[in-house]
This record gives sequence, C-alpha cells and structure tokens, in this order.
Amino acid sequence: MLPFQIEKIYLDEKAERDWVSQRILKTLSHVPVERIQDKRALIKRFFSEPDPVGAGKRHLLITRFYGRRLKPCPGTSHHICCGYYVINALTNCPMDCSYCVLQGYLNNPFLTLYSNWDELIQEMDLFLSASSQAFLRLGTGELSDSLALDSIIPLSQVLIPFFARREDGILELKTKSAEVDQLLDLKHGGKTVISWSLNPIQIIEEEEMRTASLKDRIDAAVRCQERGYPLGFHFDPMIYYREWEEGYREVIHSLFHRIDPKGVMWVSLGGFRYPPQLKAIAEERFPKTEVFLGELFPGKDSKFRYLREIRVEMYQKMVDWLREIDPNLFIYLCMESKEVWEKVFGWAPKNSSRLNQWFNERVKEFINRG
Amino acid sequence: MVPLKQIDLLDETFSVNFMPDLQRLRSSIEEIGLIQPVLLREKQGGYQIVCGFRRICVMKELGNPEIESRVLEKNEMDDLRLFSISLYENLTSRGFNTVEKAIALEKLVHRFQADPLAVTKNLFPLFSLESNEKILNTYLSLARMEDEVKRYVLREEVSRSNIRKLAALSPDDRKDLLSFFSSLKLGENRLREMLTLLEEISRRDRCTIREIVHQPEIQAILFQKKLTPSQRTERVKKVLMDFRYPRMRQMEERFEKKRRDLNLPPGASLLHPPFFEGKGLRIEFQFETLEEYRSILSSLSQIANKKEFQEMIKEGKEQRA
Repeated sequence: MLPFQIEKIYLDEKAERDWVSQRILKTLSHVPVERIQDKRALIKRFFSEPDPVGAGKRHLLITRFYGRRLKPCPGTSHHICCGYYVINALTNCPMDCSYCVLQGYLNNPFLTLYSNWDELIQEMDLFLSASSQAFLRLGTGELSDSLALDSIIPLSQVLIPFFARREDGILELKTKSAEVDQLLDLKHGGKTVISWSLNPIQIIEEEEMRTASLKDRIDAAVRCQERGYPLGFHFDPMIYYREWEEGYREVIHSLFHRIDPKGVMWVSLGGFRYPPQLKAIAEERFPKTEVFLGELFPGKDSKFRYLREIRVEMYQKMVDWLREIDPNLFIYLCMESKEVWEKVFGWAPKNSSRLNQWFNERVKEFINRG
Repeated sequence: MVPLKQIDLLDETFSVNFMPDLQRLRSSIEEIGLIQPVLLREKQGGYQIVCGFRRICVMKELGNPEIESRVLEKNEMDDLRLFSISLYENLTSRGFNTVEKAIALEKLVHRFQADPLAVTKNLFPLFSLESNEKILNTYLSLARMEDEVKRYVLREEVSRSNIRKLAALSPDDRKDLLSFFSSLKLGENRLREMLTLLEEISRRDRCTIREIVHQPEIQAILFQKKLTPSQRTERVKKVLMDFRYPRMRQMEERFEKKRRDLNLPPGASLLHPPFFEGKGLRIEFQFETLEEYRSILSSLSQIANKKEFQEMIKEGKEQRA
C-alpha cells in the first residue's frame, strides 16, 4: 500500500482520450474526478490554499504537454555538471522531504502527469537519433520521484522497453520508494539504471516524509539487482549532522552487505545545497527541520552550501569508505567545483563536457561487460 | 445617566484595550465633556461595559460620579454581536494598535467562537490586513504572549515576521530575550538577525536562550558601560555569528593570524574568496603618490619570500594525493 493518497483527479478535457489517462482513471476508479478546461485557473485557485505545496501532493492533474520535454539538467553555474538529460513526463512528488527544492521551484503545485506519451516516445526517438553525442543519459528523477507512483502511472512500462532497444541512450529511474514490482519482469537489456537516493535512518525519519525506509529501499535494490538491472546510488543531499560519520558509514555497510558493488553503475555524492528562497518555505512547512542548522553559505551560483572544508571532509571520508568496499566503484560529485574535485580525488574533470565523456565510457564499459 | 459605582470595571469581556493612551481623551473630555454615551449591558448587581472602557476610566479619574450611557437588557443581544458592535465602534473612532488587534481576534475566534474564515474575510480589510490564515495565526500567537512581550512589540513596532519568531520561543526564552534586548539598539532587521541566530544556536546546541545570552563573551559586552547601544549590538552580533558558525570563525582566525604575520605594508589588504569558496587570494592597496606605489610594490614582492605567504597560496591549491 502506498504511503500517500490521491484525493482528487483533475482531468484536462484535452487529455481524456489518451490511453494512459484512461488507464489511470480505471486504476483510481474510487477517486473523484473533475474535468477542467482551464488548468491555469485551477493552479491559481490552489495557490491561495494555506499550504499549496502540501495540498498539491494529494491531487493529480492529468494534462497534455505541448513543447519540448527533453531538456538538459539545469545543473548550476560555475560548477562541473554531468550532462544528464531530464525527461519531463511527471512533475512534483507525493513524498515530502523537508529540503526538497521543488517546494520553491515549481510554479504548479499539483502532481502533474503529461499524458501524451506517444508524442514523448517520438520526441525521445528523434532526440537520440539526431544527437551528435554517441551516447546520452536521460532520467525522470529531477522534477519528480521516478517510481513513487509507478503502480498508478506506469511510465516505467513504456520507458524501459524503449531504452532496451536503443544503442544510443541509457535511462535512469531515481527514487526514494520501494515501488519496483512492476519493473521486475520487464526486459531491460541493461539499459535502465535503477537508482536510490540514500541517507542515514535518522535523516530519513526526520527529514524525508512519506519515503521508503532505508531497509525497504535496499530490499528493492536487491530485487532489481537479482533481475540484472544496473544500479545507482545517490548520497545526495548529504547532511552534516552531529552523528553524520556513524550514520553514513552504517548506510554504506548496510547497503553493500547485500548489494554486489560490481553491479553498481555509479555512486554520486552531493552536499546539501539550496537556493536562497527555499529556507523560508521549508521552515514554514517543517518547523522542526534541522537541515538548515549547519554552516551554510552562498556560493558563486547563489546556492547555499556547507563550508568547503566541511564538504571536502565529508566527501573524502565517503570516498574512503566506498573504496574499502570496492576500489573500482565509479564515484562522482554532483554540482561541485573543480577545486573540490581536486581536493577529494586528486584530480578534476577539465570541464562538464569531460565529465560527460567519462560517464559515457563508464556506461559503455558496463554494458559491454554484459 | 448611570452611576459609575454600579459599573463593573473588572469585567473585561468586551475590552481589547492594551496600553491605551488616555491623554488625548482626557483633554477632550475635560474641554468639551463626553460626546458619545457608553454602551452597557445589564447584569446581576449592575452593568457590564460593552463600549467605552476608556471613557469610563477617564470619567472616573476626573471624579465624575455618573456617566451618560445607553443600556441594553441582559438578553437583548448575544455576546458575539455585542463584541462586534464594540469592535466596529472602536474601529471608526480610534483604530487599534497591533496588540489590540491580536486581543480582538483572539476573543472573536476563541471566546466568541466566530468562524475564522469569516473573521479574515470581513474584519481583516477593516484592520488593513490581507485576508489570510497565516496572518490570523500570527495575531493569535501574539495574543497568547506575555504582557511584557506585548509591550515590547508595541514599543518597538515589531513586524509580523518577527512576532512569528518570538511566538516560536518558550515563555522563559522570551523573558530572557527581553532582558537581553533592553541594552541593545535593534531595528527591524537587526532584531530579525538576532532572533534567527539565537533560535538556530539554541536548536542546534539543544540549549536555552538564557544559556546563550549568559555566555561570558556576551555578558562581557553587555556590561561594558562605555559602549553605545549600537556598538554593543554590533559586538553581540559578531559573537553570536561566531557561535553560529564556529568552523568559519576558526578559518577566519587562522587566516587572520597568517595575514598579521605577513606584516603587510600600510594601505594594503589581503583577502580570501568570500566564505573561502573558490581559488586564490586577492591583494588590494591604495596609494596617492608614485613613491607610495613603489614602496608598496617593493614590500609586496618581499612578502612573496615569506613562508607564511607561500603556505597560504599552497593551501588553496592542495589536492588529495
């Protein structure tokens, strides 16, 4: 049973005939449906609620998207980024993490599904075929959780087979859920990475509301690995709290006690960072949150991050602990400066393009391994 | 006319007064007498005041034995309607200060069970407030605070966002804060900064505000009589920043020590990147004459040979082996 409920569906009349809309209405036949013509008026109405972000998470808007749905991950200025592409199929998230940047980022509070999937597939096909890059990495986990609603919105059933047939792209589905039942029997061809964001139990319990427990996430990862899916793990955001060393060491120990590191495509590390406007929004919604109590300062991209000394300390220790598990684990830093890369690894990619290349070499090596 | 002796002055059911300024009213009544009768309701043994607490107070001070009144029968109107009459009468004649608005809203919602949505929709525009739940909750929390805090809020014209910060503290913390603030000069922004720093240190270190403000470094500043309130405020803020950001403080101290050891020429400054984020150092210097310029350059080039300077540059470039 999902830890969240959809209270109402708002169905854009233009989206009613799409097969995925019909499928969802059938799956959620017990949920009241309101047909709408003007989603902008609906969104405006919701923003007058006391907590539009929270309310939006319980309401599903099904509509069509007109425009490009594949975009480069926005990344951040003055830092090295990995050249990932975002598939905009579903926005917003039913989970509620206190630090989530979506709280202050999206101008539409609803869980929003863009139901014209046939057009999405066509766009992805053209995009991958036309790209000058030999290989592209795409994912759905930037504006939403890739799998939290997968039992209701079967996006993985469409995307995984699509990528299984491709030689020019790889899909990443990133999640904090344990919703993997519907993936296990799909033929993925090694072209879909299922990845989990991880944090110590204390952080999950205090700051990641309505997400799966650490144990459940690891259980789900084990099941996926048993079916041959390459895995990824994202220690992002890392929170520098009193017992952080013990906490993160324990996560790594619990994880690799059950997961074969040879089946892990990548591991990312990223210190907690946030745009300035997030703090007021998050503290209002989560008065007891402690994530903003660290020594956080604005960087060149205006995002607040831990003092560099603190970030380097965390990353260096994490890298050491991970290398104890497997010295060949592919570890990278998310949205970090060259200086930090050098302090942590002793080297840095020359620029984002080089990091992208390094990734692609890793993916090819992994796929060829079979 | 109703004898003042028969009016129950202790019954404040319909009162929202807080720190009323009676001087102008007294002058007016002394000059031209009472213009508007007060509104009373019959009760057992006498009368309950509905409108006119301040007028009655002034008339009593002036020694008048009775006051012109309009009297309602005991069950003529329900309490909510009477309170609404009282509010509207006051709104049209004098308006409310921030605390009085809070008291009015608190009584409406909790004592007289008015619908909060109706209150924000109908009354807020008259209070010149935007109709929203967050603002209502801010005022309700102010109404629940101690009188001392309410007086502070009025005197210092504390903003709603700072009222919310005060509301998040315990009564003991608020009491300690007021005592602490009494020797500082705090405008709106400084107050917000102080409240944020204290609250964050308190939560992070699991200590009370009292424990923070009683730290020797802060007490030493508060007891320095030679300092002006502004100077005291700046120094206290610096100490609180050091408590809040201890590692940054350590980095600044290390940098400052190395900078001092360099013995830079007068007019020259050595700066690190903001928040130590980024590479490199920056040197700035001022000069007025060519001689000054040459002298500074010569000193700076000698600094290049100093071990401390070389270490500072090396530190910025260090990579993991």
